[in-house]
Amino acid sequence: MSFREKSAWISLLSMAGIYGLYFGSVIHAGPQASFHFGGLLGTIIALVVVQIVLNVAFAIFAPTEAKAPRDERDKLIELRAMRVAYAGLATGIAFACFFGAFNPPIVFNTNALLFILVTAEILRSACQIVQYRRGA
Amino acid sequence: MGTIRNEIRRLRFEHGEMTQQELAEKIRVTRQTVNAIEQGKYSPSLEAAFRIAAVFGQPLESVFHYSNDE
Repeated sequence: MSFREKSAWISLLSMAGIYGLYFGSVIHAGPQASFHFGGLLGTIIALVVVQIVLNVAFAIFAPTEAKAPRDERDKLIELRAMRVAYAGLATGIAFACFFGAFNPPIVFNTNALLFILVTAEILRSACQIVQYRRGA
Repeated sequence: MGTIRNEIRRLRFEHGEMTQQELAEKIRVTRQTVNAIEQGKYSPSLEAAFRIAAVFGQPLESVFHYSNDE
């Protein structure tokens, strides 16, 4: 498994796990709860720390590969994954605009948009992993 | 849809059993990319294809073959 694929796995699992906890707490609090900026900030910090620590840990075991710039296949895989993620993001935003028109609380809108963004990022990592697994 | 086949595995063997890693370093891609090209799962850019042919001292058409399956 290449360093880039490992990095995509780190991104997918950390985002799914850490944001999963965040959205779990949001759902648990209910739609009328006030926006908890501290909770979101803590989630972002935890995500950054986990991703840095894991990427550095994997880079220690494969320093040459980690230092090497992305080659043409890595770039192609990234572009394809971005295309899929963008389609997911655009679809999600369209739904959010539609449902936002019914004037739900702002907390719902903020978390809904964050959820769409996180889902698109997870989709991007998943697409990268699938392509690396397939070989192209 | 056509298929691009290649002779990279044979050429590596004929060039002192060159490893995928050695070839990858010469053409500035990862070993996984060389493996994907060799297995026909990834078609390299024209530039990378020329670099591979140059490593083996062969013309491009001796390394890569295009067959139209239609």
